[in-house]
Amino acid sequence: MALDWEKLLNQLKVLIIVGIIVLIAQNIGYDVPIIDAIPGMIIVLAIAFFALVVRALTPNLKFPAFAWASLTALILSMPFMPTSEVFLRLTDQVIFLGTTAPILAFAGISVGNKIEALKKLSWRVFVVAIFVFSGTFFGSAIVAHIVLSIQGII
Amino acid sequence: MADEKEKRPEVNEGQEKAMTDEKPPEKSEKELLNFKGRGKFFLKLSLAGLVISMISEFIGIQRFELGIGTIVLLPMLFAVVIGLLVTPDLLGSKIKALRSVISMDEVELAGPFVMLALLPLGVKYGTLVGPNIVQVVQAGPAFLLQELGNLGTIFIALPIALLLGMKREAVGATVSICREPTLGVMGERYGISSPEGTGTLGTYLMGTVFGTIFFGLLGSLSVATGLHPLALAMAGGMGSGSMMTAASGSLAAAVPEMSDQILAYAATSNMLTGVTGLYSVIFLGIPLVNFMYKILYPILGKKENKGGAK
Repeated sequence: MALDWEKLLNQLKVLIIVGIIVLIAQNIGYDVPIIDAIPGMIIVLAIAFFALVVRALTPNLKFPAFAWASLTALILSMPFMPTSEVFLRLTDQVIFLGTTAPILAFAGISVGNKIEALKKLSWRVFVVAIFVFSGTFFGSAIVAHIVLSIQGII
Repeated sequence: MADEKEKRPEVNEGQEKAMTDEKPPEKSEKELLNFKGRGKFFLKLSLAGLVISMISEFIGIQRFELGIGTIVLLPMLFAVVIGLLVTPDLLGSKIKALRSVISMDEVELAGPFVMLALLPLGVKYGTLVGPNIVQVVQAGPAFLLQELGNLGTIFIALPIALLLGMKREAVGATVSICREPTLGVMGERYGISSPEGTGTLGTYLMGTVFGTIFFGLLGSLSVATGLHPLALAMAGGMGSGSMMTAASGSLAAAVPEMSDQILAYAATSNMLTGVTGLYSVIFLGIPLVNFMYKILYPILGKKENKGGAK
């Protein structure tokens, strides 16, 4: 199957932009020297790009690139894998919370074109949504709590 | 995880048409990501993302002790609020200079940026699950069964929606947390501009705009319920990468001694919901919400509107 390299290349450029933002932001928030984190960031971005390529190669699977990225890192970091020590040591320099700020900054901006649609909804939708959010969260938490107790894990 | 499906055309096109007819056709992700002639949008959006991230990290993690528990405000929460505020319809409508930096072009481009910015986080989640893989597999039954807990939306929110006077909209609004897969299924089953579709779209929009803020607050506060942090962590995986991150990130900050395990459980649960969520809506959610509606509507539905109900 022919890959759309033009699109992948543009995605890679954006990934590099995101990587630079994370390096600068986590330097402010978590005092990680930018230079120290560069090798880890290169690995993280390489896996992210790999995930995009796999996603593009498997259009029928509908398995998102985010999941491919997680799965790849999961496999590389399992305790019995020879890669785990060096992989975890390097990617440790990329702080978990540090990767979240740019996502949410862009997410906030990206919903900017939904404000008008949102204004058309009534306050009832807001109230119902709050109960929907709470319902799924506590529904799952209660079931999980019970099952984990039965299993003796907690 | 489902965030990146936001740009999937089959969902978005119908949704956009239903909401506003006057809009020009949506650009595809490939068109949006084309640098040629659009370099200035990339530059402005990237700088905006950088500045917002820097400000958010500068504010840092804030903790507030409330009587019932601790609220942890993470930098990501500041980032989403600032990001939202600087868009053209909010502060941009008052401040002209802001509008010249963040116009609707940058807003449009921000969608694909989110999908790509999520990937480094995906990698980090993998590095959290990998070392804990043995415990995660041991907790397998809990992971699978808690997926059923997502039907809690129907038991809790449907009665509220009926009490507030909603009719068939209530079915769509409360069938699930209404992320992209649900939007697709409901759009196909009822049509996105049907009452059911409108309800789903309403909850979807609320989740998109307020979801991370709400779960960012709930994540840390929920510890006060006495439910085990690992159970709460699993609950945070609802099929949305950003909501899961907000819930588990603030939960992990509230219970730092279990931080890694919490994030690993949340990420695993979210991955699982990504796989099961769609089928759960089709085979469990839709039949159950319709069944409950039939029972509850005569009791809770507004009597004066009874004639209008189907």
